[in-house]
Amino acid sequence: MQLTSLGLVRGIIGYFVGLVVGMAVVMISRLALGMSAWDQEAGWVGGIIFATIGFMLAVGSMTDWLKWTRGVETPFHHGPPVGKPAWTRYFSVDYNHKVIGIQYGVTGFLLLLIGGSFALVFRAELADSGISFLQPGTYNTFLSMHAWVALASILLGVGGMANYLVPLMIGAEDMAFPRLNAFAYWINVPAIITLMISMLFGWDSGWTAYPPLSLRGPVGYQMVFWAIFSIGLSSILGSLNLIVTMLTMRPKGMTLFRMPIFCWAILATSIIQLTATQLIGLAFLMLSFERTLGMPFFNPLYNALGENIGGQPLLFQHLFWFYSHPAVYVFVLPGLGIISELLPVFARKPLFGYRWIALSSLAIALVGFLVWGHHMFTSGYGEYLRVVFMISTLLVAVPTGVKFFSWLGTLWGGRLTFPTPMLFTLGAISVFLIGGLSGPILATAATDLFLHDSYFVVGHFHATIFGGFVFPFFAAIYYWYPKITGRMYNEMLGKIHFWLMTPGFWVMSLAQMTAGTMGMRRRIADYDPALGVEPVHMLITIAGFVIAFSILLMIYNLFTSAEVGALAGNNPWRSRSPEWQIPSPVPEHSYAQPIAVVGEPYDYGLAGSTYVAMAGAGDD
Amino acid sequence: MTAITTGVHAVAAHHEAHDDYAVQLRRNRLGLWLFFISEAFLFGGLLATRFYLWGDTRPELDQAIGLIVTSVLLLSSVSMRLAETAMEKGNRQLFSIFILLTAFLGLVFLGGVVIFEWGLIPALYQGHLTPWGDKYGAVVFAMTGMHALHVVSGIVFIFIVWNLARKGHFSPQRHWGVESCAIYWHYVDVVWIFFYPALYLIGNAVHLSH
Amino acid sequence: MSKQGYGLVILIGIILAVLTVIEYYMGLWHFGAALLMLVAALKAILVVYFFMHVSRLWKTEEEH
Repeated sequence: MQLTSLGLVRGIIGYFVGLVVGMAVVMISRLALGMSAWDQEAGWVGGIIFATIGFMLAVGSMTDWLKWTRGVETPFHHGPPVGKPAWTRYFSVDYNHKVIGIQYGVTGFLLLLIGGSFALVFRAELADSGISFLQPGTYNTFLSMHAWVALASILLGVGGMANYLVPLMIGAEDMAFPRLNAFAYWINVPAIITLMISMLFGWDSGWTAYPPLSLRGPVGYQMVFWAIFSIGLSSILGSLNLIVTMLTMRPKGMTLFRMPIFCWAILATSIIQLTATQLIGLAFLMLSFERTLGMPFFNPLYNALGENIGGQPLLFQHLFWFYSHPAVYVFVLPGLGIISELLPVFARKPLFGYRWIALSSLAIALVGFLVWGHHMFTSGYGEYLRVVFMISTLLVAVPTGVKFFSWLGTLWGGRLTFPTPMLFTLGAISVFLIGGLSGPILATAATDLFLHDSYFVVGHFHATIFGGFVFPFFAAIYYWYPKITGRMYNEMLGKIHFWLMTPGFWVMSLAQMTAGTMGMRRRIADYDPALGVEPVHMLITIAGFVIAFSILLMIYNLFTSAEVGALAGNNPWRSRSPEWQIPSPVPEHSYAQPIAVVGEPYDYGLAGSTYVAMAGAGDD
Repeated sequence: MTAITTGVHAVAAHHEAHDDYAVQLRRNRLGLWLFFISEAFLFGGLLATRFYLWGDTRPELDQAIGLIVTSVLLLSSVSMRLAETAMEKGNRQLFSIFILLTAFLGLVFLGGVVIFEWGLIPALYQGHLTPWGDKYGAVVFAMTGMHALHVVSGIVFIFIVWNLARKGHFSPQRHWGVESCAIYWHYVDVVWIFFYPALYLIGNAVHLSH
Repeated sequence: MSKQGYGLVILIGIILAVLTVIEYYMGLWHFGAALLMLVAALKAILVVYFFMHVSRLWKTEEEH
């Protein structure tokens, strides 16, 4: 087998060819305009744009569309590529949503590992005061990269769960637009390469990339801007696809309020991703153009009369947070959906308040559009805005509270069992509670003025993201692992993973908040030992390494169990969801016959209730 | 007997293909409109930028040019709708004429933006704004630039559709390619409907000293 | 299946042109941003309804 028959390899070659071509185009244009040939800002921007296009062409994600423009029909090819080993389909363009879901999920997991290792590097530096091995500039790069790589990993992880599960859960053959689905996955890959290249040059503002700092720093910023732009494009196209899939491809009898609750979470998430993502794309595009062409959007510029004829730095913060706050709900809503999905299965009880949960996801998403200003309490914008944004932010607690009470109501009086997915679900609730309770403290302008940019924010954020994404993501991996591979994971290793990671995280999160209240700033490479935070930092670092070690156990577990795990059978969890009524691993065409929904999804433990009727199996 | 069964099967198969097209058409339409909603936030962000930075002021732009390019784009939208109507009625010749007219008007609009608003060819028209000069230049170039990018893609789309129609790819019943191209073009016009007053009409014209 | 004729398209085009001229003079006479955006919204609704036939999204019996 030729190495270049793998789409990924061709794509990477295409990327670097495109990079060279793009830079050459910029240099020739500059010469034609009578300027010096090389300008690193313009050169890299041109290079990255061409490299991304080069990757997408070479990987083959646009081949069918290009044929359509010439009027050539392109029928679907189902199954692994002809004449190649089955695994190769995961490294090439494939239109099956299950393959794309795995591609998303695995890429997301890899990025989680990379982003996590960046954190370990600078955590080691912070373990004691004084500069040990990371110079401040490098420290800043690691810190900033940790953020964006981890955020990208979350977006990809969410995409993985959504792409794999939503069509299965609604009994659809595939997504509404399979080619668009593949495109939306693959555009992440050149973006990740671009993001990694940025490390060669460095960038030092933290993930928020506020101007004017981001307008003055090294050229690494340009790569960040364009990488995030591509990842944002992926979010937009992916969510568009999911919304159409959920609105038009449900089976007979599945009204919106009979969809699995995870689909509601994805619907709410997709609404945010479809719309708000444009604003961060625009904001980063404007930063890139201000750096490249000097268009003054954000940097003030004064004329001889002392008037500001240039831009305003605060404009960036508005545009940025209009996406980046709702984005937090993109990160957590799918995870909260997983919690609601798994609890009834392991409590053998109906989901408490299904409709309220479904609507609370939508409510969180919609209120989320009105709260961005709480990130700017200290920015110097109009003081009356603080009150407005404080009230709207505190409103988010209402639908979130609905979810918590529903989870409690579901657990209450249930016949609970505690396999690893259930443990991670409960761990997620405990961690998300820490994150949730520290939220109002930051949402209240009066307290935020003191805690802004402190380690308290770091603690709050990581608790919400671990509770809202990482723990439920791991729960989902353990839960659907038998459906994906056909084999069970090792329960003992899974439990060890949980009992290392969860207390580790509690310690880390609470210690971060403590450090913040003691006066530790958020993004600095060194601190004054007189603050008394040194032991706290040591604790955080140790807890961080414990979490990292537990995740290594998980990887070992997932790899070995795929070979030696016990055969799982169709439905090891006795779930009512349609994807558990078909063989594991799921066949190429998931459902041999269209399914029909005849009852409520979560009536666990109610005698004689049925959710789905599988065609052909209804007689016995 | 055999002939009848085959006939029934053929009808069933035909119905299936017919349904498949209708189902996919519904999805395509919904998908395209969701894309428009998404893009509305991009253009909305640009409008927000304009109001945030300019407030109640605007640069001195040539009003004649603004009115002319706006009218040209409006005309192109009318002509695009006429092209689609011609396709619906099965009049291929009229379709070709109108869709090419649309592309021509689109190119005229583009020329108006590039030559007159931007002053990119000083031999023809001396523009007084530069993207790097001040906030007026920056926002004018950002808004018209992002819009022009969509016009260019729309014109490419038109030529693809025109070429496919020439080869006989569409029918009065089935022409999603034409429909999507048409409503995309109208969408680009809708964006300009909001950009035109924001750039040319709202606020007091100021002349800044540098 | 109702098909809009060429006449209706021209008529909407004329209405849009008239609105554009009104808009232009409103701009000259310094009407506020809100009023101008209102006229723009009216124009946009006409285009969305008649040119982009948005109602086909929820009318399924038609085929194109």
